Amino acid sequence: MAMLEISNLNKSFGGLQAMTDVSFNVNEGEIISVIGPNGAGKTTLFNLITGVYTPDSGDVRFQGQSLVGKKPSQIVDMGIARTFQNLRLFTNLSIMDNILIPQHHKLKSNWLQAILRTPAYKKEEEEMRKFALEKLSFFGPRLMSFRLYQPVLVLSYANRRRSEIARAMATGAKLLLLDEPSAGMNPKETIEMTKIIKRMRDEGGYTILLVEHKMNLVGEISDRVVVLDYGKKLAEGDYKDVVNNPEVIEAYLGKKATDDDKAKKDGGLE
Amino acid sequence: MQDTKHIVQPNRNRNILLTIFATVLVAVALLILTSLGSVKLGSALALFAIWGIATVSLNLVNGTLGILSLGHHGFMLIGGYTTALLILSDDKREKILASGRSSMTPFTVGLSIDNFFNAIGLTAFTTDETLWLRFLVAILLGGLMASVVGLIVGIPSLRLRGDYLAIVTFGFGEIIRLTASTRIFSPITNGALGFSGVPTEFGKSVWWTFAFLGITIYVISKLKYSSFGRAMEGIREDEIASEAMGVNLAYHKVLGFVVSSFFAGIAGGLWVSWLGGARLDSFLFTLTFFFLVALSVGGTGSITGVLLGTALVVFVRQYGDPLEQSYLITTWILAIGVILLLTALAIYIFRTIRRSRPKIIPAFYLFLIAGVATVVLALLAPSLGIMQGEFRGFGMRAIFLSILLIIIMVFRPDGMVGRAEFNWAWVFRERLDQPTEEERKQDAWLSNPELNRPGGAANTSDVEED
Ligand SMILES: Nc1ncnc2c1ncn2[C@@H]1O[C@H](COP(=O)(O)OP(=O)(O)OP(=O)(O)O)[C@@H](O)[C@H]1O
Ligand SMILES: [Mg+2]
Repeated sequence: MAMLEISNLNKSFGGLQAMTDVSFNVNEGEIISVIGPNGAGKTTLFNLITGVYTPDSGDVRFQGQSLVGKKPSQIVDMGIARTFQNLRLFTNLSIMDNILIPQHHKLKSNWLQAILRTPAYKKEEEEMRKFALEKLSFFGPRLMSFRLYQPVLVLSYANRRRSEIARAMATGAKLLLLDEPSAGMNPKETIEMTKIIKRMRDEGGYTILLVEHKMNLVGEISDRVVVLDYGKKLAEGDYKDVVNNPEVIEAYLGKKATDDDKAKKDGGLE
Repeated sequence: MQDTKHIVQPNRNRNILLTIFATVLVAVALLILTSLGSVKLGSALALFAIWGIATVSLNLVNGTLGILSLGHHGFMLIGGYTTALLILSDDKREKILASGRSSMTPFTVGLSIDNFFNAIGLTAFTTDETLWLRFLVAILLGGLMASVVGLIVGIPSLRLRGDYLAIVTFGFGEIIRLTASTRIFSPITNGALGFSGVPTEFGKSVWWTFAFLGITIYVISKLKYSSFGRAMEGIREDEIASEAMGVNLAYHKVLGFVVSSFFAGIAGGLWVSWLGGARLDSFLFTLTFFFLVALSVGGTGSITGVLLGTALVVFVRQYGDPLEQSYLITTWILAIGVILLLTALAIYIFRTIRRSRPKIIPAFYLFLIAGVATVVLALLAPSLGIMQGEFRGFGMRAIFLSILLIIIMVFRPDGMVGRAEFNWAWVFRERLDQPTEEERKQDAWLSNPELNRPGGAANTSDVEED
């Protein structure tokens, strides 16, 4: 049984069919990339999985349980967390608070114990802070020490992306959905991010489903690639096969380009 | 890396000791003020504490949860009326029964802590000396009643967002007051007559009121700095993101709302005691308006700021009567002229401090010329024989507060202290968000152009996007 099973997912917004019969699986320990031109429905797919939108038809199953009709917070409880393409950090709060809030749903103490600061609550609070530091350490010293107490609004764009990923990890989820984790990063930072995502899988034990436009990152880390176009699944499989698929090249570059041999020689989308 | 400073609050024991010391200091200051000061001062201090309870609890919803609630006066009414009904003395109850205008029944008139203690055999607690205990029970029940209503109101309405929710809370505040006067509820609330003769020794006592204020600040700040409070602040910052991070929105909103209503009920109980009676027009929307002014002036979200704002509002309310007295019309005009001149001065000072250019803007000349003209007019008017007579400044206090609010909103939109909070680390200038010498070197490594491309981590080139 696959960790995440997406079957025949459909979603329309008024007249716009944003998702048509999309099915694929994610196995535990895999890194799967979803690619496709702008407006292909990649973010919509994430929103459907995480309960922001409910699908018109079709099913999403996580470890055998259906996610359809569940609230986003319940889906996090089950073990799926996401990042947002347009960054939705808690901007006026410190990084530490940003990484502590996602751990709140795991808290066993109730609100009275929290107000009274019972030993059990204090212990949990301490553990949450340790866990936060552990997750932030994936990004080296960049988000550590004094930065922990700075509000997010003073952070650089790249550091905000990193914080978002750390925040998703802090939920305790096993499956992470990363929406363009390297957007707005320079080539050097992108390479660093590629390595970090690999380490998240290898050392952190996370299964990762990601959306990316940067093909070098996708090619480097993906076990499989799923291509979406106009809400339909165009192709799925190995990165090399997918990028050389004429249909995929057509979706990205338009009809004319497929006739152009040059496009193929240059290695498709790269 | 596993530095304990990030896991355990540094200097925790010192801070606890300092807090205890400061509390004792406040108590001593109150002792001195109440024994030396006038009755008026004592009553103003008590009012500050009572309204402080109301604003600090309102701030939990408006500042921490980020929900604009406009119905605080309704919850205060429930706490106030419950307290008044349960604590009223026997002769007052007899008077109500004997009065032909009251619609209270013998059963509802008999609802008192006195009768309850008698019924369960605790007659020792029904003496005059133990009134304080009965008041304590009554006010806690008042708080509980308010929080139950908060729960009932909160569960359906907190699903709404933004403006809609604000309108609903405003509506509920008014509905509570209006239903209290209807025929269905007047056997309990005594309708438009209300209750008079509520003992004033608690609401007017700085000890009682400040003790409750202390408890309120303790509980609400502990809640704010707990995991639950962080979740609430997350909701304030971004609802969608908090939900995507596993925060149960409905639960935390209702929790904040119920805790806030509880303390509103307590404030209501002390408020009727301060007033010496419970009447429907002691719980008008103006009450919530004053609280909102205190929040905005002090700094929504900050307990420290909210208390500063409350002090200001209470000061204007209690000591603002000179503003509402009768003066010569020319005196009023002179005052306006002086205010205009002071505004011109303030503009000049602010632009100098902030080093804004140009230093002198047209508005400065405008205020200066208008101010001078008004002052000249006021001084010449008597000899010209115009604008004679007196004018009584009814409602001048509210106008003064509004002007104050406008000034604060222009110069400090986040209120006097913003979201900052008083704490000992701030007093000792221990700033965790500033790098130490060692960390500065590390940072130099991070931003070193040799090791990192120019611009470093701050480089946000989107070139290869799309
Ligand atoms: N809430 C919504 N209401 C209406 N239309 C929507 C909504 N959300 C998405 N869409 C539409 O669905 C389509 C897919 O959008 P989506 O954001 O999923 O694209 P994407 O693949 O993530 O694109 P990008 O690469 O630009 O992020 C777009 O045409 C978009 O306008
Ligand atoms: Mg997208």
